[in-house]
Amino acid sequence: MTETIVNNIADVIGWETIRTVVGLVGVLVVVVVNALVLTWAERKVSAHMQRRIGPKEVGPFGLLQPIADTVKLLAKELLTPQNVEKPLYYLAPVIVFIPVLVSFVVIPFDARLQVKDINVGVLVILAFSSLSVLSILLAGLGSNNKYSLIGSVRSIAQNIAYEIPLLLSLLSVVLMANSLSLRDIVEAQKGVWYVFSQPIAFLIFFIASVAETNRTPFDLPEAESELVAGFHTEYSGMRFALFFLAEYTNVFIVCAMTTTFFLGGYQGPILPGIIWFFAKTYLLVFVILWFRWTFPRVRFDQLLNFSWKLLIPLSFLNLIVTGGLLKL
Amino acid sequence: MMNPGNLVFIFMVCVTMVGALVTVVSGSVIYAMLGLVTTMFGIAGLYIYLNAPFLAMMQILIYVGAIAILIAFAIMLAGPFYKRPKEWTTSGKLVASLVVSLVSFFVFFKLVMRVSWGEGGGVFAVTTKEIGRALFDRYALPFELISLLIVVSIIGATMLALLSKGEK
Repeated sequence: MTETIVNNIADVIGWETIRTVVGLVGVLVVVVVNALVLTWAERKVSAHMQRRIGPKEVGPFGLLQPIADTVKLLAKELLTPQNVEKPLYYLAPVIVFIPVLVSFVVIPFDARLQVKDINVGVLVILAFSSLSVLSILLAGLGSNNKYSLIGSVRSIAQNIAYEIPLLLSLLSVVLMANSLSLRDIVEAQKGVWYVFSQPIAFLIFFIASVAETNRTPFDLPEAESELVAGFHTEYSGMRFALFFLAEYTNVFIVCAMTTTFFLGGYQGPILPGIIWFFAKTYLLVFVILWFRWTFPRVRFDQLLNFSWKLLIPLSFLNLIVTGGLLKL
Repeated sequence: MMNPGNLVFIFMVCVTMVGALVTVVSGSVIYAMLGLVTTMFGIAGLYIYLNAPFLAMMQILIYVGAIAILIAFAIMLAGPFYKRPKEWTTSGKLVASLVVSLVSFFVFFKLVMRVSWGEGGGVFAVTTKEIGRALFDRYALPFELISLLIVVSIIGATMLALLSKGEK
């Protein structure tokens, strides 16, 4: 009975459409659940690194704390400061979500679990990730607040600098896999993971992606001690929550990308692929959380010098050597 | 006639045109930049419609990811951001812009009309590999000339920055 109904619907709108819609809903669920898990993990990890206990009151081990936080944020009044530039101010938290959703579409979670395999998948992620910079820029300009503005100027300078090594280090992976499709790249790592054959590219990519997500030690755009909260100073309630959600989802995405490009994606023995994928991704997420309590925030000139004078030449060199070795 | 493909095409053209219009008439730099971004997305959409996803992604990566962001960076250093300057149009500017747009419109129109577009209708897809081969094989010389041009402009910009630093 249900099967015939499903088949009838499928005949009308096509299996491909259904697949995409179901995939997108699944992506939304993953986004929200991941953000809940990460807020909890961030507080728990940081607490244990400082010999504290962290959240423990709401639910077992404080597991329900993020849900309580979400309810609080949802119930909060949406304040709009008087002198903000309204269109820009309202647009920013919406735009920040587009790249996040698009990136999820092309990531292969398992051999058959991927919303859509696009043959230029790598480019899709890189192209749309620039939109998150745009939203930070709009938030900074629209807020009419000097802390926001300084935060977004920093963020843009940082993003311009770190996008280049990110792209270049990925290029050597693409050269080795001979494809721009994420699934092909994972399949090409059947024998040896690229983390072993491309260790320099892996390091550059991971460092640059931590910088792209504005996490410590590269969190100058939202440096609390200098800029209040950076570009989202004037946002509260659900709009703030959107920025927050996007930030944690970005952390997940860069880790998922690193897993896909360098750690063999969903490949691994015995256990099903999806478990391997999430295990590797969350291991990297933990490393990023670990960074926050290990490294002090870099100075702005150090930040830019590190990218322009070290990472970019190194990634060019890596690309040339990779290309040369592949042709020999 | 109105199949979904046509609707997508019309929608993308509308996005492109609206973006371009905003860029021209908004009068404030930041909205003009947003209009430009919208136009670029519209053009990228047209590329996807024409079955050229690689070009579409390159369009977004370069024009939105690099050029728009650089423009934004320049705007932030300069300001004012979203207030329209008091006298942003004068009759002289209006006449000049009309002349320029009409002349370029007729030039493009003439060129586009002169090309014979063939039958069309055949479905074909140009892969990234073929584009890469073409760039380094058939079009190697123009490709290298463009990179030379970029190198010259980078050196020029560096020299300008160095010279103005010396004056201060």
